[in-house]
Amino acid sequence: MTLLLGATTIGLILALLALGVYLSFRIFNFPDITADGSITLGASVTAVLLMHRWSPWLATFAGFAAGMAAGAITGVLHTKFKINGLLSGILVMTALYSVNLHVMGKSNVPLLNEVTLASQAESVGQHLFHTDGDLNILGWAVGVRDAAMLLSMAGLVSLLGFALYLFFRTNLGTAMRATGDNPQMIRALGVSVDFILILGLALSNGLIALAGGLLAQYQGFADVQMGIGMVVWGLASVIIGEALVGSHRIGLLITGAVMGSILFRLLVAIALRWGLNPNDLKLITAAFVFVALIAPATLRKLKSSPKPSAA
Amino acid sequence: MLEISNIYKTFNPGTPNEVRALRGVSLRLETSSFLIIIGTNGSGKSTLLNAVAGTFLVDTGSIKLADTEISRWAEHKRARFVGRVFQNPFSGTAPNMSIAENLALAARRGQPRGLGWALNHKLHSELRDRIRTLNMGLENRMDNAIGSLSGGQRQALTLLMASWLKPELLLLDEHTAALDPKSADQVIRLTHEIINRDKLTTLMVTHSMQQAVHLGDRIVMMHRGEVLHDLQGAERARVRPEDLLKRFDEVRRREQLDAAVAEMLRRNYI
Repeated sequence: MTLLLGATTIGLILALLALGVYLSFRIFNFPDITADGSITLGASVTAVLLMHRWSPWLATFAGFAAGMAAGAITGVLHTKFKINGLLSGILVMTALYSVNLHVMGKSNVPLLNEVTLASQAESVGQHLFHTDGDLNILGWAVGVRDAAMLLSMAGLVSLLGFALYLFFRTNLGTAMRATGDNPQMIRALGVSVDFILILGLALSNGLIALAGGLLAQYQGFADVQMGIGMVVWGLASVIIGEALVGSHRIGLLITGAVMGSILFRLLVAIALRWGLNPNDLKLITAAFVFVALIAPATLRKLKSSPKPSAA
Repeated sequence: MLEISNIYKTFNPGTPNEVRALRGVSLRLETSSFLIIIGTNGSGKSTLLNAVAGTFLVDTGSIKLADTEISRWAEHKRARFVGRVFQNPFSGTAPNMSIAENLALAARRGQPRGLGWALNHKLHSELRDRIRTLNMGLENRMDNAIGSLSGGQRQALTLLMASWLKPELLLLDEHTAALDPKSADQVIRLTHEIINRDKLTTLMVTHSMQQAVHLGDRIVMMHRGEVLHDLQGAERARVRPEDLLKRFDEVRRREQLDAAVAEMLRRNYI
C-alpha cells in the first residue's frame, strides 16, 4: 500500500513535468530537451535554499523561477540566434549540468533535517489526523507523512492544472496555442511569435523545475543525475494521457496528462515490484514512447491497406 | 493611405540564385481605393504584397501607411494596420482551435494580449451574428475546430477575421486561387461586400482577368519587379478582360524578342 501511495504521489509531482512537456511538445510542437536539466535545476535551487533555512514556499518558488529562466534561455537561443530547437535545448541542458553542480556545491544534497513542504505537510497531517504514527484506512496502515503528502500534492496539482486550463482561455493563452498551431496566422494578427515561444518555454520549464523542487522535498534529497531521461518520462505520461481521454479538448488533455503521469508511475512501481531490473527502466520507457509515437500511423496504414481478396 | 516609394528587394544577392524581385516600385494608394495587381508568374506581384505585409524587409525605399513609416517594422507590428488573407486557405486560420477562438484572436489584431478572457458572452454572440451573415451554417458550429471546414469556408472566415477590426489596409493574395469555382465565387462576393461596406483600402493580387475587371477601381500590371501599366480613371473604366490579355501577350512577345535578340547577338559576335 505504501508502495502504491508513494508511486501515486510521485506521479502527481511528475504530473507537473508532464504538463510542462505537454506545453512544449504538444502546444508548440517544440522538442524541448531542456527539461532534463531544468527539473534538476529546480531540485538543486530549492534544496540549497532549504539548507539555508529559507521558507519552503519561497524556496520552491525560487526553483520554479530558475526553471523559467532556463526555458527562456532556450527560447532566446532558438528565436533570436536561429539555433535549431533541439540543439538549443541540448545546449542549455548541458550547461545546466555544470550550473546544478555549482548551485549544490556537490553532486547530492540531502534534506533529511530541513523544514520542507513535505515535513510541513506531515506536521499538518499529524495535527489533522491526531496521530503521529500510522493511519488506518480501510484496514491498510498508512504513514501520516505519505497520506499528507499525497493529499497536498493532489491539491496543488489540481490547482495548477486548473490554472493552466484557465490560462489557455485568456487572450495570451489562446495566442500561445495559436502560435503552435499556425505561426503564420498569428503573426499576421499582430503577435510576436518569438516572444510567445520564449514565454511558453519559460512557463514549461518553470513547471518542470517546480516538479523537480517538489520531488527533492518528497524524496529527501536533490541529485545532479535525477533529471536524466525525464523528457521521455514526461512524454510517455502525455501520450498515455491522450490515449486515456481520446479528445483534443484542452481541459481533458490537461487532466489526461495528470492521469497519465500517475498511471505511468503506478505501472513502473508494479513492474519494479515484479522484479523488473531498474537499469532497464529507461530502455523500456523509450521503447514504449517509440511504439506510442508510431502506433497511430501504423494502425491507419493497416486499416486503409486493401485486404487480400479471398478469390 | 498607402505610399510605396521606390522599393527594391533582391533575394540571395551575390549568389547564382540572385533574384531581383522588386526594382524600384512606387505606388500611391488613396484611402478607400481598391487596387488590383496582375502580372505573369515571377513578376513580383506577391513579393510586393509581402513587402507591404512585412514578411521580409525591403533593401531600400520607403513604405508609409496611415502617415507612418513602416518599412523597418516587423511583420507582427504592422498587423496593427494590416489585415491579410493568404492564397493557401490553411494559412489564415489555426486548424486545431475552434471557429469562435479563431475569430476572437482576430478581434484583438494588433492589440496587446493579456490575461483577460479571450471569449466572453458578448463577443461570442457578436461573432455568431456576423458568421450568420455568411450563410454557411457555421453559426451552429462555433465550437468546432476550423480544421474540419472546407477551404472555401476557411477562406471566408479568414476574410472575416482580416476585416474584423477595419484595417487601414487589406491585403488579398490570390485568395481564391486554391478554391473550386463555386467557393471562389462565394468568397469573391463576400470580398466585394465587405470592402464596399467598410470602405477598406485594399491591395489584391489575382490571376483572374475577370476578377481584375469586375472588382476594384484601379489595375496595376507588374513585370519583372516593376510597374508596367497603371490603369485608372477613364482608362480603367473602359478596360475589358481581352484588353488585359492583349497586354499579357505583348509582354510575352517582348520576352521572346529579348531571347531572340540575345541569340542573334551571340551568333554574330561571340
